[in-house]
Amino acid sequence: MSSPEFAVQALYSSHHGWLNTWLRARLGNAADAADLAQDTFVRLLQRTERLELKAPRAFLRTIARGLVIDHWRREEIERAYLETIAHLPEAETPSAEARALVLELLESIARMLEGLKPKVRQAFLLAQCEGLTHKQIAEHMGLSLRSVERYVADALYHCYVLRYEA
Amino acid sequence: MPVDNSALNRRGESHQQVVKQAIHWLLRLRNNATNSRLRQQCDVWRAEHREHELAWQRVQSLQAELSSNLRAVPGAQVAFNTLENSAQGLGRRQALKLLSGALLMGSAAWLGKDTIGWQQWTADFATATGERRGFQLPDGTRLELNTASAVDLDYTAQQRLIKLTRGEIIVTCGGASEGVSFDRPLRVQSRHGVFESVAARFIVRQDTDCTRLSVTSGTVAIHSPRAADGLPIQVQAGQSYLIDRSRAQLAPPQNMDAGAWVDGLIVTRNMRLGDFINEVGRYRPGYLTCAADIAHLRLSGVFRLEDTDKLLAILPHTLPVQLRYRTRWWVTLERQT
Repeated sequence: MSSPEFAVQALYSSHHGWLNTWLRARLGNAADAADLAQDTFVRLLQRTERLELKAPRAFLRTIARGLVIDHWRREEIERAYLETIAHLPEAETPSAEARALVLELLESIARMLEGLKPKVRQAFLLAQCEGLTHKQIAEHMGLSLRSVERYVADALYHCYVLRYEA
Repeated sequence: MPVDNSALNRRGESHQQVVKQAIHWLLRLRNNATNSRLRQQCDVWRAEHREHELAWQRVQSLQAELSSNLRAVPGAQVAFNTLENSAQGLGRRQALKLLSGALLMGSAAWLGKDTIGWQQWTADFATATGERRGFQLPDGTRLELNTASAVDLDYTAQQRLIKLTRGEIIVTCGGASEGVSFDRPLRVQSRHGVFESVAARFIVRQDTDCTRLSVTSGTVAIHSPRAADGLPIQVQAGQSYLIDRSRAQLAPPQNMDAGAWVDGLIVTRNMRLGDFINEVGRYRPGYLTCAADIAHLRLSGVFRLEDTDKLLAILPHTLPVQLRYRTRWWVTLERQT
């Protein structure tokens, strides 16, 4: 009786209630907490390596923390996106299906840029989204040209490592 | 094709340096799209080594992927505003609610507010290039990370394990003030070996093909790889060992102080200039090299790491060399003309 499913089941029955409470304290609502608690155990079932049962709660918390951040990222992107397009003329606002695709794209980019310092991220996005030259970015952000060059290169390097080496 | 991140190619460049050079070329070309000479120079660089070309292709396709994704977002400035605004929102929420993760969790555990306690927790620490940081772990162990270093901590009921995944650390454990029972050994694992101690101060530096263990006080046992007799090798204060996967050997005296970086210094005694420049390069982003015809020159002294540009600027005053800045990122040390 040492199959991974059994191990997850044992974890579930002893720690599900605790995880729910932990998530609820972070998310502030019971429905999302229940969803993410469920997702946490689903992730565990998908893992192939042996479960580390010495510290089950630390282990569950690590997985749950990642899911909480994913959840918040999705919420923040949706909120920020709706705020941004609220200012657009109606003819330019995308359909519901197009919107879902765009949100997915933005989420994947946001995940890639996570962990960058705000200035680095901003310089990079100005170059990538707005196509500004480094000189224009330097003026816009009040930075030296050298800093901008370094920031843009650092951000690309960060993405490179995630994309090819993570 | 898998790339070994830490391997050096024939030109002595690390994989990281090659990727940074590729990025540098991409950005230069983007800002000077009409400059055909620059394009030719870039072609020459790409043709120099298989790895250059691979990094170039990857950087280009990454760039293309990012910009096509961003361009697929309709509306002027929509992508920028959404990403900036949401990143700020997410940062605030993370800071407020998760208390930015493991380190604070660790100290909360230490204060007894957590039911699991510090006996069992995991955490990751990392530094960027040029950055150095120290951490006080909940069990009293002091951990210093040098530039571009990363560790994973894994404390269980059986052991306290520090996995060095990149770079260099100083571990101080089992001090008199610790006040914690030594019921579980403290182990440091690098790519090449496993080291165990109860009370010591020691430096572990992981390079491409070997790990250097230097003990400054106490003793450290090398548990893997073992000596020919199958017993752990005991390393005493003042000794240094070089360890690769198959064996551990006593290292000859070094011409550089192994642990001076913790004070922000490089301290050398008659060190080869080529080796010195490689060492300084660890603390700088980008590409720093020394021409072959001056690499054999020797230098001794105490150099401050806080500003490596200043550090480099001192060299022409003591040696017949000059600095050539192609960019802030790309610096070559050459014979003085």
